[in-house]
Amino acid sequence: MIDPVEMQDFFAAFFSGALVIVFGAIYALFLAWGRLRGSRNFIAAAYGVYALLVIAVLVLAEAMHFDGFWNLITVVMLVGYLLAPHGIWLLSRDTHNEAEAKFNSD
Amino acid sequence: MLGVLDNNNLNGGQKLAVKYFSVAVILFVAQILFGLIAGMQFIMPDLFFNVLDFNVTRMVHINAMVVWLLMGFMGSIYWLLEDEAGVETVGLKLGNLAFWLLTSAVTVVVLVYLFIQVGPGDDFTRWFVNEGREYIEAPRWADIGIVVCMLIFFYNAAATFMKGRWSGISGVLILDLVALAGIYLAGMFYTTNISVDQFWWWWVIHLWVEATWEVLVGCIMAWGLIKLLGARRQIVTTWLYIEVALMFGSGILGLGHHYFWIGTPEYWLSIGGFFSALEPVPLVAMVVHSVYDSGAHKFKAANHPAMAWLIAHTFGNFFGAGVWGFMHTLPQINLYTHGTQWTASHGHLAFFGAYATIVIAVFYIAVQQWRGGVWMSGGLAGNGWKWKWALGLLNGGVLGMTMALLIAGYEQSFIERAIEGSTWQGYFVAQVHPWFIQGMNWRMVFGVVTAMGIVLLVWDLLTIGKGENRAKQEV
Ligand code: HEM
Ligand code: HEM
Ligand SMILES: [Fe+2]
Repeated sequence: MIDPVEMQDFFAAFFSGALVIVFGAIYALFLAWGRLRGSRNFIAAAYGVYALLVIAVLVLAEAMHFDGFWNLITVVMLVGYLLAPHGIWLLSRDTHNEAEAKFNSD
Repeated sequence: MLGVLDNNNLNGGQKLAVKYFSVAVILFVAQILFGLIAGMQFIMPDLFFNVLDFNVTRMVHINAMVVWLLMGFMGSIYWLLEDEAGVETVGLKLGNLAFWLLTSAVTVVVLVYLFIQVGPGDDFTRWFVNEGREYIEAPRWADIGIVVCMLIFFYNAAATFMKGRWSGISGVLILDLVALAGIYLAGMFYTTNISVDQFWWWWVIHLWVEATWEVLVGCIMAWGLIKLLGARRQIVTTWLYIEVALMFGSGILGLGHHYFWIGTPEYWLSIGGFFSALEPVPLVAMVVHSVYDSGAHKFKAANHPAMAWLIAHTFGNFFGAGVWGFMHTLPQINLYTHGTQWTASHGHLAFFGAYATIVIAVFYIAVQQWRGGVWMSGGLAGNGWKWKWALGLLNGGVLGMTMALLIAGYEQSFIERAIEGSTWQGYFVAQVHPWFIQGMNWRMVFGVVTAMGIVLLVWDLLTIGKGENRAKQEV
C-alpha cells in the first residue's frame, strides 16, 4: 500500500514538503500582488516561484515513492496550487467590487 | 472616564467576557509553569519524582491549555454578542452561574490531578479522578458539568441572536458551536478496546483543532477585522464562507492522518494522506485574501497590539498547521515521525500560532474597551515597549522551542525508528544521543524566553492604556 521513505531521503522528504507549502504561498502572494498593482514583473515572478513549486512537488513525490493512487496527490498538488489562487483572487475581486458598488450607492 | 478600568465601559456580555478572560490568563500562566517543570524533567528525570510526576505536569500543561483557549473563545463570543446581535444578552444570570460552575469545576479537577496521582484505575477513578484520553483527561463528573455549562453558553448565544439580528458571521458561529460541542461527546464514553477508544478520541482532538476551532477563530477574525480595520462586512463574510468550505472539505477526512497506526483499516492510509495533504490549501488561500485586503485599502488600525497579534495568528496558523503539519502528514514519513518530538514541535507551533495568538488579540481588544475605548494605536506611553517585547519574546520563544524539538524529533525518527527499527532499545539509544539532549536543553532555554514573554504580557495587559487620555483611533 505504501512504500516508506528511505532513510537517506528523510531530509529531502521534510524539506521538499515544507517548500511545497511555502512556495504555494509565495506564488499566491506574488500573483495577488501583481494583479493588484498591474505589475507584469510580479506575475512573472509568481510563475517563476510556481516552477520551483513543481520541482519541490516532484522531489517530494520521488522521496515518498508515490505510485498508483498516490500519483493523484501529485497531480492535485500541481493543479490545485496553480489554480486555487486564481480562483480566490477572482472571488476577492468580485466581492470587493460588489461591496464597493453598494458602498458608493449608499 | 478614559484610561481607567471601569465595568461601566462594558455591556452585559462583555462584563462576563472579562471574567472568562481573567481566568484564561491565569490558566495560561499555569500552563507555562507546568510546561517549564515538564521540560526540566527531560533534563533532570528525578525532579519532583513521586511528588509531581511527569505524567501529571504534562497533563496539567496541556489540559490548562485546552481550557484557557476554550475560555478565551467563550469570552470572545460573549464579547461580541451584543454588538453583533444588537440586543442585550439573553439569560445572562444563567451565563454567570455557568462561569462560576465551570471555574470551580476546573479548580477541583486540577487539585485532584495534583493530589491523586497513582493507583489502580476503575469505575470510580474514571468518574472522579481521571478519565484518560490526552488533552481532555477530566473525570466524567466534570465532563458532564462542562457539557451543562456549554449548553448554557450556547443558549446565551443562540437566544441572543434569535432575539436580535442574525448575520453571516453569527450564523456560521452558531452552526460551528453545535458541531464543536457535539464532537466533545465523542470523547466521553468508555470502551475496553484501545483502537476504538483512540478512534473516537481523535474526533474530539482533530475535529476540534483542524475544523471547528479553525472556523470559530475565522468568525472572531472576521469580526475583528471589521472592528479594527473597518473592513467591510460583506467582504469578510464571503471570505468566511469560502474558508468554512475549504476547512471542512479537507479537515474532516484529514482525520485519517491519525488512523495510520492505531489498528484501523488500511484504507485510512489513502484517505488520511490525500485529504490532509489538502489541509494547507485554505491556509495558502488566506494569503491571497489578506494581500488583497491590505493592498486594496489604506487602513488605519484602532488597536496596534491586537492587530499585531492577529498578524502573528495568520503566520502562526500558516506555519504551525500548514507547513509543520504537512511535513509529517503523509504515512510514508509519518511512519517514522509518529509520536516523536517532531509531533511536539508541530503541536507547540500550531496551538500557539493558530490559537493562543488570536485569543491574546481579543484580550487587547477587551482591555481597550474596559478602559473606556482608549487610544492604542501608534505613540503609546514608552513607545509601547511592553507589548512589543511581549510579542517578540513569546513568538521568539515558541519558535525557538519548535526548532529545538524539531531537531530532537529528527534525530528520534532517524535513530530510534529508522536505524533501530522502533525497538525498546532503540528508544533509549535515541534518548541519550547528543542531538536529543541538546534539543531538550535548547527547548528549556527558549521555554524561559517564552516565560519572560508571558510575564511581560500580563504586566502589559494590566497597565496598557492606564492614564491615557486620547480616545481610540476611528476606522
Ligand atoms: C491549528 C491547527 C492544528 C493544531 C492546533 C494541531 C495540533 C496537533 C497536536 C497537538 C498534535 C499531537 C497530538 C498528540 O498528542 O498525539 C498533532 C498531530 C498531528 N498533526 Fe496537527 N495540528 C493542526 C493542524 C494540522 C494540519 C493542517 C495538519 C496536516 C496538514 C496536521 C498534521 C498532523 C499529524 C499528521 C499529526 C500526527 C502526528 C503523529 O503521528 O504523531 N496538523 N497536531
Ligand atoms: C515555557 C514554555 C513551554 C515549555 C517548557 C513546554 C514544555 C512541554 C513539554 C515538556 C511537553 C511534553 C512533551 C512530551 O510529552 O514529550 C509539552 C507538551 C505540549 N505543549 Fe508545551 N511547553 C511550553 C509552552 C507551550 C505553549 C505556549 C503551548 C501552546 C499554546 C504548548 C502546547 C503544548 C502541546 C499541544 C503539547 C502536547 C504535544 C504533543 O503531545 O505532541 N506548550 N510542552
Ligand atoms: Fe489532525
